[in-house]
Amino acid sequence: MTDALLRVDQFLRGAGDFHPVAPARRPWWWLPLMILCFAALYGGFMGSFHFVTTARIWQVLYSAIKVPLLLLSTTLLCLPGFFVINTLLGLRDDFRESLQAIFAGQAGLSIVLAALAPMTRFWYFSSESYRGALLFNAAMFTVATLAGHLISSRYYRVLITRHRFHRVAHYAWLVTYSLVGIQMGWTLRPFVGSPDVPTSFFRDEPFSNAYIVIVELIIG
Amino acid sequence: MGTWFKQLDELLRGKRTEPGQLSEDRVNLPLRTFVSLAVILGALYGFFMGWYAMLNRDPADYMQLLAAVIKLPALFLLTLIVTFPSLYVFNALVGCRMTMTSTLRLLVGAVVVNVTVAASLGPILGFFTLSTTSYPFMIVLNIILLAVAGFVALGFLLHTLRRVSQRPFKWTELPNTPSTEGETEEGTSRLPGPLEQIEGEPSGLGPANSVFKIWVLLYGLVGAQMGWLLRPFIGSPDLPFEWFRQRDGNFFSAAVEHLSHLIGAN
Repeated sequence: MTDALLRVDQFLRGAGDFHPVAPARRPWWWLPLMILCFAALYGGFMGSFHFVTTARIWQVLYSAIKVPLLLLSTTLLCLPGFFVINTLLGLRDDFRESLQAIFAGQAGLSIVLAALAPMTRFWYFSSESYRGALLFNAAMFTVATLAGHLISSRYYRVLITRHRFHRVAHYAWLVTYSLVGIQMGWTLRPFVGSPDVPTSFFRDEPFSNAYIVIVELIIG
Repeated sequence: MGTWFKQLDELLRGKRTEPGQLSEDRVNLPLRTFVSLAVILGALYGFFMGWYAMLNRDPADYMQLLAAVIKLPALFLLTLIVTFPSLYVFNALVGCRMTMTSTLRLLVGAVVVNVTVAASLGPILGFFTLSTTSYPFMIVLNIILLAVAGFVALGFLLHTLRRVSQRPFKWTELPNTPSTEGETEEGTSRLPGPLEQIEGEPSGLGPANSVFKIWVLLYGLVGAQMGWLLRPFIGSPDLPFEWFRQRDGNFFSAAVEHLSHLIGAN
């Protein structure tokens, strides 16, 4: 356990096995494992809104499953396109490192989310407003995303010195990932769980498009 | 117990945070001792805080006194628990070399400084409690006293951080260097106080410095709201004793309300 946490510390600092320049000596499953554990931890806290009845424990459980699911399924959907883009740009030889960079970004995002989890819980203690809870979570995700980007850039910086087209691939990844991620988040909702609606894994509504909902919200 | 207070004295004199003693992976503040000290000294301030309910409720409310004694140390330590993980992670991200334990020790040290200053102001609070019955006045006074203690602790934290960020090798020579401060009563070179700017002290920590500054703000905000969640500390004379009040409103609107009430704006 302590050993695992020490590795997380190393990862955050970009040192030791996780040094951007060092070739990946660690087992490949370390980064996905970190995403899984830390995102689930945040998910649990995220779903603990309005935790007054025992039925709400399901929301905790569902969100603990759904946050890692959100990150990993978005990645899975974007990977084929990313692979093709990399190949077209002539970066196929570095694909292993590119993959490591994007997974590192998400592992960083998950760890930062987990570190912010007590703040989210504290917010829930302070305010019963569902809208407030949604906004606070959005803020936490924004902070964590920025931190994740910081980490993945660390790895990409090394790649870009090798070939400048890596920058294009990185941006392409960011655009597709956020585009898909927002829709995925919408599809997998609820994460926080409105207190007025009975707890469920998915909303009992037909699939809809997040972007159309946003446009409709703005236009009215 | 005696050694605890000896260690506290060393902390306040700056011996524990003198440049030679500090490095990124070694902060000489044993957690068990200093957390216990934080609890004891926080409880001491809480004791003075609880006098108001004891004197202004009929019959004297000892439960409120007990609640204040428990809640005040809890306020500081819970706030630390809520905000510490994010501080640590962001510090590691921006490349601050401090380890997790030394960051925690340093922060516990700052909390101890905070509650020590607060506890030393406790008798003043007690004196005012004996001589006043105004509830809004007591609230504003408590906010002021705790704010003073908070700012002193903040100064301690930022100065110590700057010392940590500097490699120890320069500092170990420091006591031997001749300085204008050498002519104290003992005639020996004086140890710089914990709040003192040392010559050549770096002005910043790089990116870790901004992380700490943001964190301090966050700690303040969370602390204020934590105080609100844990209320009542003082206990309004018109309301019965409760461990916790209804969860509504927030610290900032309430503080402004009491202040405007006190100066007669409404």
